[in-house]
Amino acid sequence: MKTRDVFGYSFSAIKLRKLRAGLTTLGVVIGIAAIVALLSITQGLQNTITMQLETGLATDTLIVSPGRSVFSEGGAGIGGGIGGGESSFSLFINDTATINGLSPDIATSVAVIQRTVYVQSPDRGFLINVKGVDFAQYADIYGSTFVAESGTINLNPANDEIVVGKTLHDPWENGTLLFNVNDGLEIIWTNATARPPENETYTGQITAVLTEIGGFSFGGPSDISVYIPIAQAQSFFGTDECNQIIVKLKSSDQATIDSVSNAITDAFSGEASVISSTAVLNIIGSVFSVIQLFLAGIAAISLLVAGIGIMNIMIVSLIERTREIGILKALGMKSRTVLMIFLGESVIIGLIGAVLGIGLGWVLANVVAVIFSGGGPFAGIGGGQAAGVGAGGMDIIPVLTPTVLVGALGFGIGVSVIFALYPAWRASKLKPVEALRYE
Amino acid sequence: MTMIVEALDLKKTYMLGKIPVEALRGVNLKVESGDFLAVLGPSGSGKSTLLNLVGALDKPTAGTLLIDGVDVSTLNDNQLSDLRRRVGFVFQFFNLIPRFTAKDNVELSLSIIGVSKAERKKRAEELLETVGLKNRINHKPAELSGGQQQRVAIARALANNPRFLLLDEPTGNIDSKTAREIMKLVKRLNTEKGMTIIMVTHDQHLAREAKRIVQLFDGVITSDVVNGELT
Repeated sequence: MKTRDVFGYSFSAIKLRKLRAGLTTLGVVIGIAAIVALLSITQGLQNTITMQLETGLATDTLIVSPGRSVFSEGGAGIGGGIGGGESSFSLFINDTATINGLSPDIATSVAVIQRTVYVQSPDRGFLINVKGVDFAQYADIYGSTFVAESGTINLNPANDEIVVGKTLHDPWENGTLLFNVNDGLEIIWTNATARPPENETYTGQITAVLTEIGGFSFGGPSDISVYIPIAQAQSFFGTDECNQIIVKLKSSDQATIDSVSNAITDAFSGEASVISSTAVLNIIGSVFSVIQLFLAGIAAISLLVAGIGIMNIMIVSLIERTREIGILKALGMKSRTVLMIFLGESVIIGLIGAVLGIGLGWVLANVVAVIFSGGGPFAGIGGGQAAGVGAGGMDIIPVLTPTVLVGALGFGIGVSVIFALYPAWRASKLKPVEALRYE
Repeated sequence: MTMIVEALDLKKTYMLGKIPVEALRGVNLKVESGDFLAVLGPSGSGKSTLLNLVGALDKPTAGTLLIDGVDVSTLNDNQLSDLRRRVGFVFQFFNLIPRFTAKDNVELSLSIIGVSKAERKKRAEELLETVGLKNRINHKPAELSGGQQQRVAIARALANNPRFLLLDEPTGNIDSKTAREIMKLVKRLNTEKGMTIIMVTHDQHLAREAKRIVQLFDGVITSDVVNGELT
């Protein structure tokens, strides 16, 4: 019997029991839709986060922090975290000179002193992250994000000049401004090392508000930070130690990143950790892979349930059609053709279920994305772009990768066929004499 | 004359639960090409068992059965299927596929042997015309009378040019007037087209239509006579 005729026969059998076939297919649809929706949402979320990270973290920069890296060999362990582990080792502001001399691939480097401070607005107070940096070098490294939306970033600033991120300027994104250019900003820092701890205070003047950056930031400018000149930070916080040194490379290829990272690690005898943006992105990528696998696994369970449904229905169908199988065999149909007919039915159910499931999953993913994004646009495949962290939450653009598409299709058909194997085998093994006698 | 069926000391034993039942106890039978044989016997005589064996639906327990020169007992499942394609089955209860039209039912046996769609259609229409159903080719079994359904079944049985037709109580489920017409058709196939026919029945009147009558009783052949010699 020709393959086309086998499928034709399978299809005629499915058509006979439309409701039953429809409900069986629905099981596959739900399973596949769950997988597709979850995977395309997580993929979209990963893309959004990656994009936002890439905004805050230029790919040609390395971040050097004191402490052994958890990513390097002999690391300090999980407790160390991304910023490096506990260590008595300190990075100093003038270590930038050491680093700059390490490799011709290094363009420049900038030290960052970072503290959490308290700022007071007329009606409320905020805890905020303040970064002491060399404005000129910082602007050189982060040319696309350390940019003023209003006011001017003075590259040779006076000590009391302050640059604020967008969030501090317009936290509610509704035009009600908290701090604006030319406002005074009182910074209060609790010096915990003094005995007894005491609050240090100074009032600076805002000279610039940064453009909206969006997303997260490792070392780079962010919407939620305040920037003061490095000299002011040194004197105000009373330290020459810095929290990070950001190194800008002349090239962002992996070989350069690796060689410079090694050079820096060696220069500080392994006491400093070097993180590249690519390493961070890789970690995020692998974390998301695990999440995706986990979610897909949960969704796959529903598909297994659908598979059992298929098996159940096929066995019922086999019993009902025992006599028909007897007729087919009496007409000379071979056992393997009977097997193919039953498997053909499951392939058709799996295929229709998978196609509908992919469509439904895609719609679901978009609906969920719209709900989570607080009413963002209904996205098309690969369309749109990620926006920042704001009052509306994160814009997730669901992404349906070809792998997910083909995988879902294959999985849908695969599960259907696997669960149909037993009933199909039983059908093929029916003895014609007994099958014909079956009432 | 070519030998179509040759049975030598054919035995078949079934297990009915734990009790062995000897359905055939040494049957010797020869059917030649062009023959029209009626196997007559009461129920329980082993008629159906003999029919199943001759139709290659089942294998004998002992003895030799040659169908179209092939020894059935040596065949595997696949080869038995191939052999069945040389047999035209007509069942008492028609055994048409209810969801298929008359034409589709006839085409089915052709599609099983891999005939192309265009040729299937042509042949099915010709065969349905032969059995007198030219105007009902697109009707489903439920829309046809018993006699018409049996004609479809005969057309289907003839579709892959079988070596012989195997009829199992072909008129057992239809009224006597239609039964006569069906028998007329069967006889015509035998006389005009030279089709070898083996018909199993318990109806003496029906058996008289055949050229040769074999009486089966309690699993053995008690008489084998040319029609007209039986009294």
